[in-house]
Amino acid sequence: MPKIQKLALVVDDSKLQCKLLSVLLQEENYRVVVANDGESGVEMYIKHQPDLVLMDINMPVMNGFEATRRIKKLSGVNTLAPLIFITSMDSEEAFIKSVEAGGDSILVRPFTPKVFKAKIKAMQRISDLVDQVKNLQQQQQNDAELAEKMMSGVIEARNFALDKIGVIKKAATIFSGDIQLTALCPNGDIHVLLGDFTGHGLRASIGAIPVTETFRAMTKKGFSILEIVVELNRQMFTLLPGDLFFAASFACISEHDKSAYIFNAGLPDGYLFNDSANIKKRFTSTHPPLGILPKLLPDAQLDVVQVKEKDRLVFITDGIVEARNQAGDLFGFARFEKSAKDGITQKNLVNSVLKSLDDFCQNSEQEDDISLVEVPCSGWQEIKLSKNVTIPEGFIEDDYYLGTTTNSSPSWSYHLYLTGPLLKTINPIPLIMNQINDLEGAGEHWQSLYTILTELFINGLDHGVLKLDSSLKDSAEGFSQYFNERANRLSQLAENTLNEKEDHIRIALKYFPLLHGGKMVINIKDSGQGFDILEVMKNNSIARHDGLKLSGRGVELVNQLCDTLEYQEHGTLVTASYIWKN
Amino acid sequence: MAVSSRLSGDDKELVIRIDERFDFSLHQQFRDTYNSITIRDLTYTLDLSQTEYMDSSALGMILLLKDHVELYAGKLIISRPSETVRKILEIAQFQRLMTIE
Repeated sequence: MPKIQKLALVVDDSKLQCKLLSVLLQEENYRVVVANDGESGVEMYIKHQPDLVLMDINMPVMNGFEATRRIKKLSGVNTLAPLIFITSMDSEEAFIKSVEAGGDSILVRPFTPKVFKAKIKAMQRISDLVDQVKNLQQQQQNDAELAEKMMSGVIEARNFALDKIGVIKKAATIFSGDIQLTALCPNGDIHVLLGDFTGHGLRASIGAIPVTETFRAMTKKGFSILEIVVELNRQMFTLLPGDLFFAASFACISEHDKSAYIFNAGLPDGYLFNDSANIKKRFTSTHPPLGILPKLLPDAQLDVVQVKEKDRLVFITDGIVEARNQAGDLFGFARFEKSAKDGITQKNLVNSVLKSLDDFCQNSEQEDDISLVEVPCSGWQEIKLSKNVTIPEGFIEDDYYLGTTTNSSPSWSYHLYLTGPLLKTINPIPLIMNQINDLEGAGEHWQSLYTILTELFINGLDHGVLKLDSSLKDSAEGFSQYFNERANRLSQLAENTLNEKEDHIRIALKYFPLLHGGKMVINIKDSGQGFDILEVMKNNSIARHDGLKLSGRGVELVNQLCDTLEYQEHGTLVTASYIWKN
Repeated sequence: MAVSSRLSGDDKELVIRIDERFDFSLHQQFRDTYNSITIRDLTYTLDLSQTEYMDSSALGMILLLKDHVELYAGKLIISRPSETVRKILEIAQFQRLMTIE
């Protein structure tokens, strides 16, 4: 391949000198253009964009120093066309002034052609290196842009309910990889993740794809937020190199349960704000970031809080509190909290925080990614009750339309019997939903079934096996007490291997295909002592009548979703049937 | 120099000290202080008393040091972090993974 001929610009008022230098340059395979004073030198530079400039000092109209200053200003920092002063002024002052004006080198006459050519070669070598660095930089920039595009465009655009969630996402000049995810659970709960990968460049984003996939897939299958954290930690531990990890906060917001479950592994405090902009609770990091330990620490536990309708949950990454102003001060927690509170009062938290941050930092360079998510605790989509078949008056099971008879046997049935420690470690609902999906295919109508199964299983576990009193949940203090006690009793269950046979839950499903839909009959039996069915029903109906919202929201919800719901055997066996229409 | 290290005369303790900012730019220097040391049962003391700021890549570098220490059955102690640095270590819950004094 022929070498691309380079272009040199010679600026000298002596025609003889120009001629002489041109010949030498041509021998080095340069094309040459010539100017005879500083000003036209600058014009020629603009017009021809040469690869090399040779500059005399003393010239009419504009001298070499001034012309050099202008040329260097034009060429900016990104391109280096080496500029060599050619002069007979062999003085210290000339040397210093030429460097100050922006010259890259100086050659003092007289010199031999050999010295001249060696000088040109050396300068060319430097400018080639600069080109190389520039190309590498460009390549890196492209990679980072690709990674960022992937994160925001491909990954985060698929987030759930983007219109309801407030987001700040300001990438630093050095791309560092924050990730924000939201997804809808089968029972209508919302899962939220704000994460921050350590490290810089493309390295930081390699984990983003598996994190997203896992988070979405497990949420969709109905795994709990803690189960997702366990899995993500395992994945990040296997995937990420030793010095790379993933600090993240997780939340599960359950609107019908009026509660939020939080896990903070390595991010700054998260917040729960109420409507009057007070901080109801802080969620401090309780666990090292994910990907450091092969397993979560044994005491890893969710924070559980009761939430009200207008509450909002806010997560941030360290980029916000560690943002610096010109003087080097940090933005800090106090400023952040104030701007967030102001924002809630003004009904726009995101804008308020951004403005406060901008006012503080002015034009300082942003060192780290700045991220925030703000999630309202209510206003999520209604659980689709419409999937329920409206049963006409006098409907009986062998309704001709649905095409079944009372005597028909199920097309399949499924039994699961869980004992002792397994009740702590296994969440059977995703297992069951997987089976159903495999047998009958995926479908929207499974959403309600998922809710029914979860609520009934949790009831059997909490009130039957663990003997927890649900009235505890009626007050805010009782609420956390309830969850502490629950965790306690679950651990006892796991340790007490003697009782293994006694503590159990049995789940049985029977599936009846119908002409235009299907029917699932669910049986859940627990080993508890049962409860006075009539008493509870009475209490609930009194509570409803009085407009009090007591515990038992779960059962109420199930009741709405099911066609029949019946407690037997002193409340230790519940039978629910669920019918849907195609 | 931002990173300095000193091995005690009896080969029992290696003290690594970081001045001012502990961030990604010290990556190589930091590694060089311990990478060639293969003495067993050594106590590695990371002196952060002069460290004013630490970023998350520094946390990553500490984890790499921890891997090295465990490989040679040594002990890792983080010594005298300033208030700012302690806060960063706490958010990452590093006190659960190593000794901080």
